[in-house]
Amino acid sequence: MAGLGDFENVVFDPRVPVYLQVVRHFKELIATGRLRSGEVIPSRRELAAMLNINPNTAQRAYKEMEEQKLIVTEGNKESRITTDEQVLRSVRSELIESEVEAFVRAVRKIDVPLEELIDLLQRKYKELAGG
Amino acid sequence: MIELIDVRKRYRLRQVLKGVSFTVRKGQITCLIGVNGSGKSTILKAIMRLVPIQEGQILIDGKGRSGADLYEKVAFIPDRLTMPPGMKLSDAIRFMQDYHRRWNEARSRELMAFFRLDASERIGNLSKGMAAKFNLVLGLAQETDYVLMDEPFAGIDMFSREQISKVFTSDLMEGRGVLLTTHEIGEMEPLLDRALFLRDGVIVRDIDCERLRDEMGKSVIDVMREVYAP
Repeated sequence: MAGLGDFENVVFDPRVPVYLQVVRHFKELIATGRLRSGEVIPSRRELAAMLNINPNTAQRAYKEMEEQKLIVTEGNKESRITTDEQVLRSVRSELIESEVEAFVRAVRKIDVPLEELIDLLQRKYKELAGG
Repeated sequence: MIELIDVRKRYRLRQVLKGVSFTVRKGQITCLIGVNGSGKSTILKAIMRLVPIQEGQILIDGKGRSGADLYEKVAFIPDRLTMPPGMKLSDAIRFMQDYHRRWNEARSRELMAFFRLDASERIGNLSKGMAAKFNLVLGLAQETDYVLMDEPFAGIDMFSREQISKVFTSDLMEGRGVLLTTHEIGEMEPLLDRALFLRDGVIVRDIDCERLRDEMGKSVIDVMREVYAP
């Protein structure tokens, strides 16, 4: 179950469309299991209030998530996370892939050999996980 | 829709507005940005007919309005409380109730509770932040289609600002057209639908904030720097 804290203290990058950042935030909550299959999510207006964003932007984020089949809204009822396991699984892999891709792009600019990179990656991963 | 068409305003020899045109739509939060003294407040006062304009037109839902016809459509929240300091908050509310046909008593009570204001207090005893909140109560309890707010966040503490910004996402604003002015954007950037930049007496940029981020990868503050950099 997602707690209130999961929808507060989200820091927005002012140069990236807010609705995309909201969608991304939901994907993170889904990928980490904080939002579960079929779980009811806040109304558009509740979300806008919690995130301190424009209600039209919250509306747009929900529309985008409906189009991506991440959430379902039946008639005038509340919106829920999809129960389609395939969609839910793909959220996680999509997030990981896009982050890894961004990392590889950044690191390729400084020409690091793959072996060295893997060593470094393992060391850093442990370091950060420990901290 | 509020429409300004080529509005020109002169204070003695100084031409403050040199042909201002823009629209304010229902269901949107539009922010009018300009440095101090650029004429932002003058625009709001012109819409409320508190100052005369020399040329141009101001239409509200398709026609020029004044007096009760105007006050039923548009609420104006000036940059400071205009009620006398000796008055109790409850007296000020009663005054508004008598004066405004669109006054919603339940909504005013709701707002007083939301801001934790004590109706038996005197206006002169309010802190700056409290006065700003009470000022909002007086404006927002009017059930109008449009709300004009002059610098609602200026000179008040962070917690009051956060509380005030909650009003923008609440159902109090649902469906209404909001026009607010500011000289600094700060943390309200994600609240805005549109930003208008006033410089040298004209609107130099009229921006859909999400589209700006999407198409240009820029923030409203980036545009502010472009427009006002010396």
